[in-house]
This record gives sequence, C-alpha cells and structure tokens, in this order.
Amino acid sequence: MERGLYIAASGMLTEQVRQDLISHDLANASTPGYKADRVTTKSFGDLMLSNTQTGQPIGALGLGARIESQVTDLTPGPLRETGVPTDFAVEGEGFFSVRSSGGVRYTRDGQFQTSSNGTLVTAAGDEVLGPKGQPIKVGADGTVAASEVGVTKLTTAKREGDNLFSGAPSGAGPGTVRVGALEGSAVDPITTMVDMLGSLRAFEAGQRVITTIDSTLAKATNQVGTI
Amino acid sequence: MLEGLRAAATGMTAQQRNMDSLSNDIANVNTSGYKHERTSFRDLVATQTGLGGAQGITAGAGAAAGSAGRAWGQGALRITDQPLDVAIQGDGFLQVKRADGSTALTRNGSLQIDARGRVRTPDGALLQPPVTVPAGVSPDEVKISADGTLVAQGRPIGRMTLVSVAAPHELQDAGNGVYTTTAASGRPRAAGADTTLAQGALEASNVDLGDAMVDMMAAQRGFQMASQAVRTQDQMLSIANGIKQ
Repeated sequence: MERGLYIAASGMLTEQVRQDLISHDLANASTPGYKADRVTTKSFGDLMLSNTQTGQPIGALGLGARIESQVTDLTPGPLRETGVPTDFAVEGEGFFSVRSSGGVRYTRDGQFQTSSNGTLVTAAGDEVLGPKGQPIKVGADGTVAASEVGVTKLTTAKREGDNLFSGAPSGAGPGTVRVGALEGSAVDPITTMVDMLGSLRAFEAGQRVITTIDSTLAKATNQVGTI
Repeated sequence: MLEGLRAAATGMTAQQRNMDSLSNDIANVNTSGYKHERTSFRDLVATQTGLGGAQGITAGAGAAAGSAGRAWGQGALRITDQPLDVAIQGDGFLQVKRADGSTALTRNGSLQIDARGRVRTPDGALLQPPVTVPAGVSPDEVKISADGTLVAQGRPIGRMTLVSVAAPHELQDAGNGVYTTTAASGRPRAAGADTTLAQGALEASNVDLGDAMVDMMAAQRGFQMASQAVRTQDQMLSIANGIKQ
C-alpha cells in the first residue's frame, strides 16, 4: 500500500519537471530562433509479482515514472522580415557559427550587429563565423552578402543558454541564409498551453491518488478492529 | 518547483521591457530623426532538473530581454521649406558640441541660429566644427548643398561636417535625439561620400506605426502566456499543499 504513495509522488515530480520546461518555453515566446524541448516519460523498471505460495506469476507492477530523454525540436520557426541589413535567418535547417568565450558555438538567432572593428558580432559581442570559420567583415555600406555567412549542420544540438547550442558539426547545413529577416520563436502557443493544462491535471490526479491512499491508510489504522 | 515559477516570471519581465521600448517608439512616431529601438531576447542557462527527471534532463531558467541598439534605417523626408532644416540621407550624423563642452552626434537637423549667428540645434548645442552665419545675412539667403557647404550671397560661409561611427548600436543615448560615442562604438570619422544633406527638409521618425502595433500585441500576448505559466505553477503549489489534509 505504501508503494502506491511513492508511485503517485513520482508522477507528481515528473509533472513538476514538465511544467518547468513549459514555463521556460512560454517565457521564450519572443526569443529569436528559440527551439522548444520535447521530453519523453518512461516508467521505472517493473517488478514482477508472483504468488508467494504457489509461485504463479501475477503480472508486472510499475514503480512510477520519470522523464528519461530530452530532445530539442529543431523544426524551423516562422521567418519575419525586419529590413535591418545585419539581421539574418537560416531558411531550413542549420545553424550560424559564433566564436564565444567557451569555443565555437551555434545559434539560430541572427540578430547581429557591427562591432567597432567592422566585424559581424552577436548581441553578446561574439564574432559570427563565415563558411571557412573566419570572422565576417561588414561592407562599407553596412551590409553583408548572404553567401559570406556560414551555415553549419549539427548532429547533436545541446542547448547552452544565451540562444547558443553546442554540438558536433557535420559539414555545411542544407539551409540558406536570408538577409534582413529574423526567425521567430518556434514555441507553438496553443500546443504549449494545452500541454500546460494537461500536465496540471495529471499533477492534480497524482495528488488525489495520494490523498485517497492516505484516507485508506487512515481507515486501516483507526477503524480496523472497532465495533 | 520554484525554478519554474521564476522562469515564467522572467518571461513577464522580458516582455515588459519589450513593451517599454515599443511605447517609447510609438511616443516618438513624429520626432524628427528618431530611430526605433530594438529589443533582443535570449534564453537563460539550463540546469539539471529535480527528482522527476533522469540525469542529464535540464530545464532553462527563462528569458531575458536586452537592448539591441536602434534600427538605423532611413526615415522618410518631410519637406518643411525652412532654410536651416537639413535631413541626412544615408548613414551619418551631425556633430555638435553641447553646453557642457562634450561632443555628441544627432540626426535631428532642425537647426537655428543664435544671437551671434552661430548655427545650433533647438536644445542649444552648437555645430562642431562651428558654422556662423555672418551678420547681415538672413537665414533665407543661406544655401546648403548636398555635401554640407553653406553659401550665402555667393560666398561660402562654412561647411557642416557629417560623421559616422563603426558600431552605431553601441552609441549611448543622451536623450533629445542626441547620442554620445563610447569606446565600443568607435570614434567619429568622416561619413562616406554617399551620405548627403537635403536642405528644407527633415528626416521623419523611422517608426512604422503598423509594425509597432503588431509588435505590441505580440508582446502583450507573450506577457499573458508567461503570466498563465506563473498562475499554473502557483496552482500546482497549492495542489501540492493540499496533500496534507
């Protein structure tokens, strides 16, 4: 009986994590090039139950669930024209490469700027890299040709914060560069809000299971044996 | 648990900041030489989740908004027929010397002459290098050519210098459409030859009211979504508290 309490609690903890991810997604509804994560839940290893007297198997008993895997959904977000010559978007798959303090990182946020030494940099001041990994010079008229900006394909994109991803590059990306446009956040408000409600109700159901088991336990401890 | 609550709250703060810039833009839709503000958003660093996630499952800490400088796109020219109104076409600024002696840059070309004939901006900053309209010359007689040369009664009387900086998004906003240079923006240098002046016109604000309104609606909805996430997180805390009857 106590086992049920812990199984229900594990479900609640899982929904908590799911809500934390949803909150992060909703907070980034305006972040250029933002990609939401998809997570999958898996039950802990099942226990095989068997009759203690005859040894006859009864069936499996789950011990609760937790979030087991997390994958960033790299589906491109909607492109939006801004008309600003230092705004770029990758149309299709692929990432811009930037040289950050921790080494080369990748981003889909193409809201770039011109630095004081005339190179193209991100909002954080990291240099944007061209197809051969070189810094990109902004022309005297303040523009950069689409072909000068590199697009890299990543095999394992891992979110690092600050709109950056790390991962293993595998050649030039299939996507093409669009100048004067930005990629919007790929968070889908409707799906995310529905997920949020679904998760809230699952959390509530977990709580109900706990309170029900608790009242059953109360009956067992206080009422068994009374006349 | 509280991480999610905070992540959602950062989303509200970021949208609030976005809304502040948009309000400022809309308020300046008729300000000569005004350039609209740009807001950048970034996601915050992700950390290992609580007990409900396996090792390696991370949740981010929300979003943050920051300034991405201004959009320096050309504003439309508004013809005023005032002899001392100039509109800058192309990248560049007029250089002025403010009352406190510091040098600053502006694109607001609504110029005037003071009692001593010196050309200045409405807030009293003198052009740098100085340009003086000689006594006895009325402003209506002053002709300003595309390269900034001032001619009155057939004689050149001075030249308005146009400058630009390497990284205009790093300029510091000093209010009244005036900017000061910083180490990151680079020092002022002569503007390119394709930057010209048009006399008798002012550069209108480059705020597109339609775009600003759409952005404002998006910001409002983003704010609402983040606030719903705060509410949901709050409900979950309340449900968790309900375990103990």
